[in-house]
Amino acid sequence: MAGQTFTRRRVILLLALTSFILITLDLRGSGVTNGLRDAFGVVFRPVESATRVITNPIKNTWNGIVNYEQVVAENRKLKDLVARQEGAAIANIAGIREAQELLALNGLPTLAGIDSCTAQVVGSTPSNFSQTVEINRGRSCGIRVGMPVLNAAGLIGKVTEVYNDRAVVMLITDPAYSLAVKVVNTPPTTTRPAGSGTVETSSTTTTSTLPPTTTTTLFIRGFQPGATAPTLAPTVPPTNPDGRPVVPNTSPLTVPPGADLPLRETGALEGRGLNRLPIVRFIENQPRFGEITIGSPVISAGGATSLAPPDIVVGTVARVVNRSGTLGPILEVTISASLDNLNFVRILLYQPSTERIPR
Amino acid sequence: MIERVITIAENSYVRLFLIALVFLGLQTTILNEMRPFNVSLEVMVLLAASVGLARGSEVGAIAGFMVGLMYDFVLTTPLGLGAAVFAIVGYLAGLVHSFVHEPTWWSRASLAAIASGIGIILMAGAIALVGADGILTTKVLTIALVVAVFNAVFSIPTERLCRWAMVKEKVAS
Repeated sequence: MAGQTFTRRRVILLLALTSFILITLDLRGSGVTNGLRDAFGVVFRPVESATRVITNPIKNTWNGIVNYEQVVAENRKLKDLVARQEGAAIANIAGIREAQELLALNGLPTLAGIDSCTAQVVGSTPSNFSQTVEINRGRSCGIRVGMPVLNAAGLIGKVTEVYNDRAVVMLITDPAYSLAVKVVNTPPTTTRPAGSGTVETSSTTTTSTLPPTTTTTLFIRGFQPGATAPTLAPTVPPTNPDGRPVVPNTSPLTVPPGADLPLRETGALEGRGLNRLPIVRFIENQPRFGEITIGSPVISAGGATSLAPPDIVVGTVARVVNRSGTLGPILEVTISASLDNLNFVRILLYQPSTERIPR
Repeated sequence: MIERVITIAENSYVRLFLIALVFLGLQTTILNEMRPFNVSLEVMVLLAASVGLARGSEVGAIAGFMVGLMYDFVLTTPLGLGAAVFAIVGYLAGLVHSFVHEPTWWSRASLAAIASGIGIILMAGAIALVGADGILTTKVLTIALVVAVFNAVFSIPTERLCRWAMVKEKVAS
């Protein structure tokens, strides 16, 4: 009996020790654990593929029973959405192209300059505690750990494990995911009704139909900021009979052309798990930034240590949770990409310096 | 050569490895897609608990460790975390079962359910312990409950399978 207890204790001690060593090695990013995962993948992938083929009819039957009504309703909704988005997409493509040209002209990094690899999602996480998907491209396509993954709607996550022809992508909702982002807030609109010398501030959102800056810079000869903007109509300053411009009695207020541009504030986006919206922390409570509008776009901030290059669409602000004192608000973000229905994704071949593993 | 393969296949842990591979295949495919109450069912923890029920705490701990390690290989959680948790599950299932005077099918099913539920809660705790935020929520209790009910239903055939796989090797006379 004593001998049996001794053996049992020895077994438990050995298992605990092995677990501890493995966890330590893995958390320190050891190549040994990666090698073990790779080796197991070689054995397991054929079994998984065979199981997928065999169980596909059962899965389809289940989906037919459980999700049929939902799929039909969703299909109708999507058709409406596609019809509405088609026009907007064409206008946006033109806008994006112009923005990228402008960035390239100024030597700023753009997404167009980064190579990418397209892959298909072949599986999702089997666990309740992590949000990952598996894609059918890997090291052979140039994919490395840390690379950002996006679909047509926006950022969906980052690559966490890479095999030769497969990779695991941690989704943006995973509690372990964090990313530097910018929140683009729409500032209060500054308008000046024609003929009045006062400036009124309203809290309504700026729309492209209002050209507020044209009246403010009218009186500076040879200087027309924003004159190249497509929405501005060509304006001719009123002149006297002798050809000189009319000088008004009231002193004009000159507003710099950038004053009505959307304001940006950086923060850290953190996933919070399944069925919970990710949040953005560390937004500073700056008066210039003003009240954060629901629906303000959230985009990646970029930078040398950021996980993703700048200006990838992440989502929109869904809720603002204000905190007391000088603490900035916490923002809940609705992800623009639908993580439930991922199919084709694009992996930007951009590896941040923080994710490079020395080999 | 064939005799050698047969000899290897007769080893109880090799059989368990093959069964665990099939279970893992089911876990990553069909059970991943079919999510009742939005919960992914966990058959790997059921396998660990079933070995414990079938062959006692010591074998349960070793088998749980093996099954958990295999599960860790396909997850993004640190390697060894699931192994440690499943080893505890296998050990607990075997230990508690040894105290049951006359085990019945329902007592075994209940133990499998309880061990699975504990396993889920321990797993969430272990993941939180290594630094993940937002894991320990009330949702864990829902997951544990759904997994426990499902595992109770499937515990009897799984335990039989484990009893067959982990057959006690005959002592050479």
